[in-house]
Amino acid sequence: MSNRIYNVLFHTHTVSGLVISVALFVIFFAGSISFFRDDIINWEREQPIKENSQMDIDFNTALDSIAARNNLSGRDITIRQIHQERRVMVSATPSKDTTANEADKSRLFFYHDPATHENYSYFQDFTLGEFIYRLHFFAQIPYPYGYLLSGFVAFFFLFAIVTGVIVHWKKIISNFYVFRPWAKLKTVWTDAHTALGLIGLPFQFIYAVTGAVLIIGSSVMLSPVTSLLYDGNSDKMFEDLSTNVKAFTYMHKPQFYEVDVNELVAKAEQNWEGVYASQVVLQNYGDASMHVIVDVKPENDKQFAGLGQVAYKAATGEVVFERDPYKETTYIAAVQDFLIKLHYGNFGGYPLKIIYFIFGIITCFVIISGVLIWVEARDKKINTPFKRKANQWVAAIFLAISLSMYPVTAFTFSVVKLFKDANDPQPHLLIFKAFFISWLVLSILFSAKKDNYFTNKYSLLSGSLFGFIVPFANGLITGNWIWKTFNEQQLQIFVVDAFWLITSIISLLVFFKLKPKAKQNQPKAVKAEYLAK
Amino acid sequence: MPANKKHLSPSFHQRFAKITAGFIGGFMIVVTFFLILAHLIDHRVALFTLKFAGFIVWCAFMIIPFLFKNGWKAWAVYLAIILFLSAILYFLIQNSPISISSL
Repeated sequence: MSNRIYNVLFHTHTVSGLVISVALFVIFFAGSISFFRDDIINWEREQPIKENSQMDIDFNTALDSIAARNNLSGRDITIRQIHQERRVMVSATPSKDTTANEADKSRLFFYHDPATHENYSYFQDFTLGEFIYRLHFFAQIPYPYGYLLSGFVAFFFLFAIVTGVIVHWKKIISNFYVFRPWAKLKTVWTDAHTALGLIGLPFQFIYAVTGAVLIIGSSVMLSPVTSLLYDGNSDKMFEDLSTNVKAFTYMHKPQFYEVDVNELVAKAEQNWEGVYASQVVLQNYGDASMHVIVDVKPENDKQFAGLGQVAYKAATGEVVFERDPYKETTYIAAVQDFLIKLHYGNFGGYPLKIIYFIFGIITCFVIISGVLIWVEARDKKINTPFKRKANQWVAAIFLAISLSMYPVTAFTFSVVKLFKDANDPQPHLLIFKAFFISWLVLSILFSAKKDNYFTNKYSLLSGSLFGFIVPFANGLITGNWIWKTFNEQQLQIFVVDAFWLITSIISLLVFFKLKPKAKQNQPKAVKAEYLAK
Repeated sequence: MPANKKHLSPSFHQRFAKITAGFIGGFMIVVTFFLILAHLIDHRVALFTLKFAGFIVWCAFMIIPFLFKNGWKAWAVYLAIILFLSAILYFLIQNSPISISSL
């Protein structure tokens, strides 16, 4: 590689990394916590469920109770449970009956609690877990701008990864063993950036690609395809690229069938070994052409990706379509499964989630160290004082926004446990206020103080203190003390409390280890803290 | 450590050319290439591959213009590729259009 190309690519790595730095940090920090999204939700609602008990519900009773409150005839009803929580997602297409009234020609979407038979709209169902999960793709910014922003940040992250590897290629092995914690700050950041960047490389590459695909794969990558092959009709494209069983023709013959969905689901699950139901669709509900379609997936230890399907005719109960998950999984279904499993990290239980979480936080540290290298490298006498000062400001603001996410998250957890009313029809308001206002205030205060050492130290301290409150607040409010949830094996509640207890202890230890004068110690401590968190 | 400035393109229009060549031109190359593929193999496989592999290929096409000294030359090369691929695509659409059977 010529000297010119090396320098040019180096510059593209620097610029692309800097431009996305804050957004990428927020994505990785919120995303890392989102590995525990379902645990957080169950902790918040005090509804722990057994592991791998998804779709273990009484479909007959659930459907009766849903049908009693909504006119389902002529609709396709889909019941899914993509998260480890008690509530199931119910969605229904508009009625295909051309004579249906206006109300029946709109879509339905709600969450159904199979234990209480209550229905909840999306907003009533909103939780802190969902908030943090959605923060990691900027869903709070109006659609589609938040999605596009996060998608392109992921794509430019991919660009930064690839250029970074090219630039670093020659020294990729030798530099991996270089660690000079007592040298000047710049070398500390550089060593950390390259070593941790290399350790996290496969992880980061997976997340850059899958992140971009999941959020802008259809809207950006396939948009020219939509207009060229599908006359600009994206619904047509989604139907063509869908993994669902094709639609059975609606016959306009109202006919009610007493279908035992539970039995059909059980039959589908017994069709193959080691599969579980992932989705139940009732096509053309209340019509002579009604069908029940059960999707099954192999368990993780049987096969990584797979989709089996059985379609039953409601009138006779006979099987009209069958797809073997072990032999006939389509390419699209397999790719879809791969992308989602790799991104969600949900194929190896808690050990994998913890490893993924640590890698996520390592990536946060790689982002921070990258920005700090940029500042230190430009803090030279050849640069004008104004420029050096401006760079320092950028770093101070960046660190203030990034590092304050830790105390702000801990604070919001405490607030939600202490003050959230389970019957609040708009629970998102409390969460938004607690999170965004405290984030804004802390960011401004830390930026104004403009002392990176101070920002780091007091983010750790305040995060640790608020973090200690979380398990306490949970014990006080609900009586679910951490030893009790441990003994009763209410795993998800225990995980959240233990998470905050462990991170708080570690960050408090790091806080006490930080020494104000020996500035060289700072990076090591930051690193230890981030690795631990 | 910052990149040595003497190797970087100083002018705005050069940078503009390289960035747009990679971002816009690269995107067009990737999409037309996969659209051609969609006419040759099962179109759903080609399109779904575009959905994920497209980003990786696009990323490569975003880096290549920076290897050029003159960004407008990069655009010229990219335009030539786009025109060539589009011609093939046009020929394929005219002669063997994809039948989207399930619709």
